[in-house]
Amino acid sequence: MSSKSDLRKTFDVVSYYNEVLKENTDVSAPVAAVSSLVELVKQQRATTMLELMKIVPEACAQLKCASHNSISLSAGCDVFLKQMARLSQGQSAEECSRSLIEAGTEFVQGAGKCRDRVAEFGSSFVRDDHTILVHSYSRVIMGLLRRAVKQNKRFRVYVTESRPDQSGLEAAKELQALGVPCEVVLDAAVGYIMEKVDLVLAGAEGVVENGGLINKIGTYQLAIVAKAAKKPFYALAESFKFVRLYPLSQYDLPTHRADLLAFKDSGPTNDWAARLVATNPMLDYTPPEFITLLFTDLGVMTPSGVSDELIKFYLD
Amino acid sequence: MSSTKMDVFSTRELPLLIESFVSQLKRGQLVGSKTVAMNTANLLREIVSRSPWEDIPSLTTLLKAVGKRLLRAQPRELIIFNVVCRVLHIVNEDYSSVEVVNEEGPMSKKKGSASGASSASKGSETPAMGLGQPGTGQPRNLGEQVSQSMDRATLNAFHLKSLLIQEIMDYILELEKTEVEIADNAREHIHSNEIILTCGRSLTVEKFLKNAASKVKIHVIVAECAPTYDGHEQAQALASANIDVVVIPDAAVFAIMSRVNKVILGAHAVLANGGLVAASGSHTIAAAARHHSTQVVVCAGLYKYSPMFPFDDDRFNTLVSPDAVLPYGDGELIDTVDVSNPRYDYVPPELVDILVDHTGGHLPSYLYRLLQENYAQAKDLAWNIQDE
Repeated sequence: MSSKSDLRKTFDVVSYYNEVLKENTDVSAPVAAVSSLVELVKQQRATTMLELMKIVPEACAQLKCASHNSISLSAGCDVFLKQMARLSQGQSAEECSRSLIEAGTEFVQGAGKCRDRVAEFGSSFVRDDHTILVHSYSRVIMGLLRRAVKQNKRFRVYVTESRPDQSGLEAAKELQALGVPCEVVLDAAVGYIMEKVDLVLAGAEGVVENGGLINKIGTYQLAIVAKAAKKPFYALAESFKFVRLYPLSQYDLPTHRADLLAFKDSGPTNDWAARLVATNPMLDYTPPEFITLLFTDLGVMTPSGVSDELIKFYLD
Repeated sequence: MSSTKMDVFSTRELPLLIESFVSQLKRGQLVGSKTVAMNTANLLREIVSRSPWEDIPSLTTLLKAVGKRLLRAQPRELIIFNVVCRVLHIVNEDYSSVEVVNEEGPMSKKKGSASGASSASKGSETPAMGLGQPGTGQPRNLGEQVSQSMDRATLNAFHLKSLLIQEIMDYILELEKTEVEIADNAREHIHSNEIILTCGRSLTVEKFLKNAASKVKIHVIVAECAPTYDGHEQAQALASANIDVVVIPDAAVFAIMSRVNKVILGAHAVLANGGLVAASGSHTIAAAARHHSTQVVVCAGLYKYSPMFPFDDDRFNTLVSPDAVLPYGDGELIDTVDVSNPRYDYVPPELVDILVDHTGGHLPSYLYRLLQENYAQAKDLAWNIQDE
């Protein structure tokens, strides 16, 4: 249909998404995705519900293909699709798109509040004289630590370097600016310092149905060491990151590719460093038995409570 | 809102009631979880029946204020907090169900029906999951309820009052019958000829064991729990029901554990992560049981289940007089040694196998569900109190 191809020429959801991410570093992937989908709905000219119900899922699929950290992004898209399914009952295409736009905009504006609520629930677990171990850079964790600083708590932070993108260094810079004593720790040195640590914090790309965590590579290792040393491991996640996945192993994640860390017969290589970045996974899965508690904007919960929340949301 | 002389008199009495309860708490004159729970529940019932409130939101505010005062009087007494949260939950649940019955408007679609209106995403606690609201169990922002239904609510306040008082009376009855109902589950957990280990003095466990003993033959080993030696009392109480009882010193727990089939403990409180605040000595017993792969069953009434999380192990512990550990008469030693006598133990959730309440046995991982059913509407209070 001509309207569809026009749409493709005039509005590219993926490039809009990338722009949103570039403009505002404070925005996370799922929020940017919903933002782009809202923009798509604003600009589309569908006259029937059927058309609308085709355009939006197609755009979602495009977004999912285009991005690497697609777990949290697909969580965001799924939330949007679920809302569309709800709003589409008994309404015309125009009414539906209007309410979708309204709901989506509210979601985007409220997403920052989600992070604040997580910080509110979690900051009581940080007490004076604590040594905290943080994995990589996570906006939610920064929010929590910032709030703890505002509450005049004195604590120290170890941040893992988190190769290959070394995002831990960003986190350390921010913490230093806040006045929190921090040190960057090699990913390989977490076992070495675990005894000195009081609690471990990790962000989340996604939280799966059994309460397990999908996060930056290195989280699983960290959780195992924490459990062995009997230190509490807390995961921080906003509720829109709950996904309907049930991985049975590391290789069950949708981001898994067969060529990740597969032995290749590609002849002599000199540039192992570059090869490393290309062949290594970016995300891993932490089973729920390693997670002590989850801090979400719906409250503090044990991993077993996650599935209940998911059911409430998806089945009604 | 009536203001007859009678009402003014009764409202003047109410603050006195609260004051005397608060000072009793401060002086530690109320001992025993059940006593505290019953007294708190009765006080709250008096407040609901006697204080002048026009609509539910103002009643909720009043209850929250009283709850905060009581908690400040005795911050470590979790039971008070549990009872206040439960009463608040009862109050708010009645409010929302009455609301649904009385209104046909768009926002009455809280309980389970499909939504089509744009108000679906408004007034939700979380903007995120609110994108898909309403689910069957999503608690809504009380503020939204207030602003949208103020006038309707005032009409219902009168018959709501009697409904509320009835519900609270039901709750008090439930409190009274807790131990008996828990004991009814005894036969499911205790089999004939079992050797059971318990510790300290717990009325719940006593009734539990007596109920089982009335049907099958069991042997009970009681750890004496120095320095209070509560175990001796427990042993006497059990022996009076013709149960075979052996009293052992606390140090012998690990040695005897290999002969024990089951460990049954009482708890002062059960925390939201499944951990216990229990009599001093319980952690050792639970750890020894884990080592021998022996099951640990905890009998605790629903009023002991707290929505609070332990931020650290000793948050809810108190130290009592060390005289019982090392008498003050031991002059020289007292100067050189630090003596402490903690009242409770924190037992981590990994060491607990089954929690038995009046509805039966649950896994500690199921706690989130029980807490949701009983305390969901009081979430605000639960989280605002935490920082104090």
